[in-house]
Amino acid sequence: MRLENLNTVDANTLLKELNASSSKLEEAEAFLKLKAPSKKSEAYRYFETDCIVKKDYEIVTPKESTFSSDKDLIIENGKVVSAPSSVTVEIKEFTQTDKEHFDSLYYLSHIICSKVIVISINESLAFNIKHILTTQKDQLLSYRVVVLTKANTHSTIYETIDDKTDQSLVIGGYDITAAKDATVNFVTDRNYSKSGCIVFSNSYRVEENATFNLYTFDYASNNALTLFRAQLQERANFNAKHLLYTRDKAKSGTVSQIIHRGQSSHSNQSTKNILDDNSRGIFDALIKVENSGKYTVAHQNSKAILLNEGAYMASKPQLEIYIDDLEASHGSTTGQLDKAQLLYLQSRGIKVEEAKKMLILGFANEIIDSIDNKEIAEKVHASFETAYYGTPKIECMQTCDTCL
Amino acid sequence: MSNKVLTIKDLKVKIGDKEILKGLNLELEEGKVHVIMGPNGAGKSTLSKTIVGHYDVEVTGGDITYKGNSIIEAEPEDRALEGIFMSFQHPVEIPGVNNTYFLRTAVNARRTHLGQEELNAAEFLKKMRVLIEELGMKNELISRSLNEGFSGGEKKRNEILQMMMLEPEVIILDEIDSGLDIDALRDVSEGINKMKDGKRSFLVITHYSRILDYIKPDYIHVLKDGQIVDTAGPELVEQLEKEGYAQYEEK
Repeated sequence: MRLENLNTVDANTLLKELNASSSKLEEAEAFLKLKAPSKKSEAYRYFETDCIVKKDYEIVTPKESTFSSDKDLIIENGKVVSAPSSVTVEIKEFTQTDKEHFDSLYYLSHIICSKVIVISINESLAFNIKHILTTQKDQLLSYRVVVLTKANTHSTIYETIDDKTDQSLVIGGYDITAAKDATVNFVTDRNYSKSGCIVFSNSYRVEENATFNLYTFDYASNNALTLFRAQLQERANFNAKHLLYTRDKAKSGTVSQIIHRGQSSHSNQSTKNILDDNSRGIFDALIKVENSGKYTVAHQNSKAILLNEGAYMASKPQLEIYIDDLEASHGSTTGQLDKAQLLYLQSRGIKVEEAKKMLILGFANEIIDSIDNKEIAEKVHASFETAYYGTPKIECMQTCDTCL
Repeated sequence: MSNKVLTIKDLKVKIGDKEILKGLNLELEEGKVHVIMGPNGAGKSTLSKTIVGHYDVEVTGGDITYKGNSIIEAEPEDRALEGIFMSFQHPVEIPGVNNTYFLRTAVNARRTHLGQEELNAAEFLKKMRVLIEELGMKNELISRSLNEGFSGGEKKRNEILQMMMLEPEVIILDEIDSGLDIDALRDVSEGINKMKDGKRSFLVITHYSRILDYIKPDYIHVLKDGQIVDTAGPELVEQLEKEGYAQYEEK
């Protein structure tokens, strides 16, 4: 199946082509309205879309089976292998899709997935999600995870990907709801394979007085894109921090929409991008404050360091505001390493190449160290150093608060 | 007779299109404290920048030799590894780079260069903790990012901490006294005095004589309009305090 061919059929035919249930008619219509990704798509203008739409794929459907109890939720090619007993995990139909998502692949993945993995969090807890991906050439895998939290709970999810995909396409995503007065900390730590194409298309709903802290760490040598739409209700807080490290010919980054719907909601989105070789970083992010979003506070910032002349940052922070009573800002900078900082390190005997690496690490550390959960922060430090140096490099200096 | 550890000969330096140093000559003797004084814009900071290999400066003539070898073409890190240290007038802040991690990397780079064994984390921290106490630094500063959010005094103390940990042979102090209160000036000066071992040479660049109450100089050099126009003993400070630099207008 070639995704670009789906643009020309009607909704019912689309469902038939994808062996999907007629209950997905609304999603099919939404997909056809947005069309499959192309250079003309708003959401995919900076991404490589040929690997999505111009290849013939065989759809791989995750098989439903029982799973064991483990401390981590492990999902192998869309199939739950194990799950912690502290959360309820069910494989079932999901009808409460985001009806206003900007991404056609969000709807496509919901159409392909007759059932999704639903994680219900009923108490305050922390757990890990590990995705194992091994799809091979010309395979298209699509699966989705829904996370539902209970009011007043505080949960922390640390997600990693063991990505061994090869010339395949994975379209995944999360639908996460932070319930009223709940806190959700969601940390994604992804080191992508060199030859797969992965798109995660997410929808986040942040209810009244809820807080959603999103951290994304993406290390890419190929094409990997994260898209999300976050809706904020009254007095909701949404904090998103992204670290992107790209190399080779990767095109990777974040495309997002944060919608301030309720009064007095706050959002703060910042991204740091480290771009090497001939790679392209993407930060195409809109903050929209609707008429109902009085007294919104919204800030957005993007910083990028280009390590090579061939590297390129497509940074497009945007504000779309329909009210007067708010506080909002956005900004974007792209440049090289700071010469004065580099000289300072060199003047202490640190070789220029090592000094550059130290500055890169420092640039990344600002995001990593802002994770409250220090155990997770350590894991992210190690994963970034592995992605950047090829191995975890920085040994414990016994200077953290615990040691002091 | 004293050994000349660093010799600057007929040094001409431009920053941008402007010639700042215009044939400067200076010799630093082993184990001595040399002080450079001079009016604003004379070229004092340009001199220190040139010695450490700052990217701002363009050497258009002359030479700097350290232990008999020219360092004009040497990279800043190679000058540092050989034993030249400069305390920056305005130390940069480097967010995300841990102060201790940075300093241990620098110390071990120098030790490796000198053929010494690297210090492990425990050995390094033991040594550093003694020094931060001597310098009156807060313990928490070692776990913070390099100079980030440090006060002016904390930055200067951190420069001295680096100097003491790196154990250089030529120490350039570019306005180390600027922005320091009396207590900080005393702590910093004590740190500098502890480094005096009869072998290390110091080049102290300052506008004010107050630091010289703590660090006793051997030579005072007056730098004016890109050249050293006078060299004398410590008694020159008093004269400069009284008469200023106008006396050199005709020289």
